[in-house]
Amino acid sequence: MKTKGMEIFKRIVKIAVIPAGTLLLVFLLCSANGVKLFETEGNWILFFRATASVMLTTFALSLNLNSGRFDFSIGSIALLSSVISASICTSKGLPSAAMLVISIVAGAVLGLLSGGIYVIVKLPPIIVSLGVALFYEGLAFAVTNGYGVSFVANKELTSFPSVLHYALVILGGLFFFIFVFDYTQFGYDYKALLSGQKVSVNMGIKEIPNAVGCYVIAGALMGVVGFISATNTGTIQMALNFGSIGVMFTAFLPMFIGGFIGRFCNEKIGYLLGAVTTAFISLMYARLNVDSSIQQIVTALILVVFLIYLNNENKVIELVMLKKHLKKKTK
Amino acid sequence: MKKKNVKKYITTLTPLFGLLVLFAAFLILGKMRDINISYGLKSIFNQSVVVAVVATGAIFIYTLGSFDISLGASVAVSALIGGMVYNKTGSLAAMLFVCVGVAVLVGLFNSVLASVFNLPVFVTTIAMLSVLNALVLVLIKINGTGSEIAVPAAAVKALNTTTFKIIVLVIYLLLCIFIFSFTKIGRMQKFQCCNPICAKLSGISEKKMAVIAFAMSGIGVGLGAFLSIVYAPTLTRNTASSVGMNVIIAIVFGGMPVSGGARSKIYAAVIGAFSMTLLSQIMVMFNLNSGIGQMVKAAIFILVVFLATSDQRGKMLPR
Repeated sequence: MKTKGMEIFKRIVKIAVIPAGTLLLVFLLCSANGVKLFETEGNWILFFRATASVMLTTFALSLNLNSGRFDFSIGSIALLSSVISASICTSKGLPSAAMLVISIVAGAVLGLLSGGIYVIVKLPPIIVSLGVALFYEGLAFAVTNGYGVSFVANKELTSFPSVLHYALVILGGLFFFIFVFDYTQFGYDYKALLSGQKVSVNMGIKEIPNAVGCYVIAGALMGVVGFISATNTGTIQMALNFGSIGVMFTAFLPMFIGGFIGRFCNEKIGYLLGAVTTAFISLMYARLNVDSSIQQIVTALILVVFLIYLNNENKVIELVMLKKHLKKKTK
Repeated sequence: MKKKNVKKYITTLTPLFGLLVLFAAFLILGKMRDINISYGLKSIFNQSVVVAVVATGAIFIYTLGSFDISLGASVAVSALIGGMVYNKTGSLAAMLFVCVGVAVLVGLFNSVLASVFNLPVFVTTIAMLSVLNALVLVLIKINGTGSEIAVPAAAVKALNTTTFKIIVLVIYLLLCIFIFSFTKIGRMQKFQCCNPICAKLSGISEKKMAVIAFAMSGIGVGLGAFLSIVYAPTLTRNTASSVGMNVIIAIVFGGMPVSGGARSKIYAAVIGAFSMTLLSQIMVMFNLNSGIGQMVKAAIFILVVFLATSDQRGKMLPR
């Protein structure tokens, strides 16, 4: 009984060590500069928004990437779905809840098209996603004549940002993702295809509907990301020539952190904690007014160092054990 | 059997047919709309040459089944440092040397990170993309007027000719063709991608192959940076901003398989780069909205790659 309790405690420590360690570090850095990490309501909103947006992007990216399908088009889906929903809502005077629903539906339809093209042309997903990203960016540009969409003065649509709303989005997204991938036949098939494509197909698992389903879900999630981004600023700016793919890069660090934490708990919880970790870092950047170029370098370095550790974990452990052994011997 | 061979040749030559069709379309439309065709062709060449040079070097990385997304940012950083060196020394040779040197160093750094620390190449290059993009901003801030680093236009005017650019492209292309098709390196790289275990058992070093691929790509990036300065000597944060993704598109459009291996073709990059620019130019001639132009370009891109790879589709979905 005692050992079981100890095991659970150890597991909780392993799950919490990265987000808690990051929180401690950013808290100390902010304190050293005489700044409070969470001083105003705006800081809390920023934190929850970053967590929601990054968590959903991480879900959308990992969903296909874990199956070997690299998807460059997720940023363009977020862009186009928000353009569609914002255009409809501003012209019809609809509230933000309607904009959220339209964004999700538009994202899902765009994901369906993307997945549909992939299964029809049977080209490597990276190529299809490049073409789709170009197409959706072009469509968003053409629909708005390159001017984008602005609804800064629309108080109804720009009233969405609040801690409660973002918390609901986080919980809703997490429960949906866990339910679909851990408690449905679709999720079991997904996992089977992920671990052995050929065997699963030969066993009779239908790969095409599963792949298309993944694209639809990823699209719907990116619809929410587009909605969060649009309602935060009240404007949607256009991007051509792959200007939309930057969104994807925000999800790599939380995805790898989530993968690591996922060894000790449900992987989806890991992704959430990965997003929380990066949200702490984003908040610190904002509170300390860190230059954007320094932010990029620091984030990239954290990613590289973390990956070096992950890919050489056994060697690091061996080295630590060897040092301990040598210390004992010299004593 | 014969029918199969004909089909194989047709699919292999599809990208080249695509280029010829686009070229013919450009000439016909140009005549119909009474545009200055020689000026248009010069403009197409100027727009394509940087992507063609960078993409030709990148074929070495793609042949290994790897992928480098940071090439555009690397062109920008190399060009900025090259420009700074020219402004300090006044020497074009020093500028060229620094452009190539910086680009090769960045490539080697990527390959060392990937091979020594066992990191996935793609993720390494994503991190490098962030670092290099940030470095572009830092370099411009500390060394320029705040928004640009300018090399005097008069200094590079003599080199800003089609002949010079053709010479650079042809020499580099021939060097790459020689290494890729007439030395052991090209064969070893294809083998490494097709069957890494057999390659290892045959004594081929994976790390060595990665270093060579990134070094060759670095030379292309450096030359691309030099040509970027020659064409547009005022360097800003937008310098070469679209080169990175255009390189990927050009390589695929030219008929190179993304999975690398035995079907890799060194000339794919040049065909792809010129095809993409011709396509963009044709869109401009139609006076299409930029968005619609990009949509048409995307559709043609997928169609051409679909036709060029029609003999490679299996029962399962590709990954």
